[in-house]
Amino acid sequence: MATARIATRSLARASSRHAAHPVLDFLAPTTAAHASCQIKSRSTHSAASPAPIAPQHSPPPEPFRHHKISHTLTDEQSDFLDSALRVNQAGELAAVLIYTAQTPPLVRSHPHLRPLMKHMHDQEDGHFRYFNELIAKHRIRPTALYPVWYAAATALGWGTAVMGREAAMACTEAVETEIGGHYNEQVRVLLDWAEKLEGKGELGEELDTLIQQLRRIRDEELEHLDHAVENDSKQAKPYELLTNVIRGGCRAAIRISEKL
Amino acid sequence: MASRAPTSVSVLGILRATSCRPAAALKLQRFYHSYEYTQPPPFQPAESAILSASISHVPSYGFTLNALTLGACDAGYLDVSTNLLPRGVFDLVNYHLVMQRLALKDTVQFPTEGGQGRSSSIGAKIRALTLARLHANRPVIHRWQEALAIMAQPSYVPASLDELAQLADEIWFLAGDKSVDSSWYTKRASLSAVYSATEVFMTQDTSKDFVETEKFLDARLEDAIKVGGFLGAVSGWVDYTGHSALNVLRNKGVRI
Repeated sequence: MATARIATRSLARASSRHAAHPVLDFLAPTTAAHASCQIKSRSTHSAASPAPIAPQHSPPPEPFRHHKISHTLTDEQSDFLDSALRVNQAGELAAVLIYTAQTPPLVRSHPHLRPLMKHMHDQEDGHFRYFNELIAKHRIRPTALYPVWYAAATALGWGTAVMGREAAMACTEAVETEIGGHYNEQVRVLLDWAEKLEGKGELGEELDTLIQQLRRIRDEELEHLDHAVENDSKQAKPYELLTNVIRGGCRAAIRISEKL
Repeated sequence: MASRAPTSVSVLGILRATSCRPAAALKLQRFYHSYEYTQPPPFQPAESAILSASISHVPSYGFTLNALTLGACDAGYLDVSTNLLPRGVFDLVNYHLVMQRLALKDTVQFPTEGGQGRSSSIGAKIRALTLARLHANRPVIHRWQEALAIMAQPSYVPASLDELAQLADEIWFLAGDKSVDSSWYTKRASLSAVYSATEVFMTQDTSKDFVETEKFLDARLEDAIKVGGFLGAVSGWVDYTGHSALNVLRNKGVRI
């Protein structure tokens, strides 16, 4: 039985909620893993906004015309966005590769799964493209272990697929649970910033769009989780072992990609 | 970035305080580049004033404390204000490096579609940007070997390499590079190597208008393209052969 666990980091970083709609937002993910959003920990986000520093040079011609806000992102905020988007890109790379590797063995034995696998693969591909765009646009360094994640994700997808349909679905369930919780935590942190910035009228389109897109992506990942459970992921024979190993691996990969 | 006051009056406290600043100075605009939020300026106002005044003395006095002191006086500060710069002459070298890197986006214009029908390739843009950055060293090129020696000091090597990496990143970004996989790293590594080799060559180039440096740069870029092309072909071959083998086995009925 899937234990409803969110990474402890998310609890450490959770902030107090004031507006009504973020609460509804967190009620939307209906799976058991997210039933524990009633756990409130009240550690406030540590980013303090500095006094706005007037730029000393006239703004150079930017390829994307945005309205300039005099606020400067703090180091922590910049760091958070940098590592968050790097991890997201690595995660979507892994997801695309898992589905790509799972599809041939799975579809050979269970042809009726072809449309589902194609649908999930295409959605992940869309997410991957989106994060690639963001990384290129915002000059974020991609993960240095790209080839390692490439090999690991392909091996994981292929391995679980030859183990059988249930194992493949259990792998999807484990990965999507971790990823869903991970995106949820990011949305939480960003909503906290957005609340503070909106109060000062400094919330730009960039952050706003990012939050919306992250929510959409999180919802799609959780939809994949539901599909996996519907397709008998819990009947996988070494269910606990498989899920725990995969979830542990995902958490380690997330932690490594944040820095590297 | 405010420098932190020593927590105790002990020597250790003072050492800790001074060592904080280089670490703080290293964390320039490395992270998420926002188009809406303003980027923090690379130097504090006082530092910026002293260093910009000192740079104008470098052609005559070199990257020395003398130039710094004269700059401090020009900017209206006392001689001892050079203590604001804990890394001394390296801060002057660093100022030159940072300002020339940031100036690239304003000084280099590429011919756009309007004129010839199609804009230049990324390779041509890389060449143009690298040349522009090399030519930006011309006012101080007779002092550049001194600057390289300063940068090579062990305590400043990490910061210098960091600046080189940032320059390579800036050039690729301005050329329109959109790679987001491991080629992001290989491209920047190879450009850093090409740029530093050409920069060293330039310090002893006596030809008119540095044409020898341009030829050297072209030769290095060609080498990089050849090596990159070869490695790409090898990996493409391995990829293709691997997939073909897998598909042949699957067709034979092997359940993989």
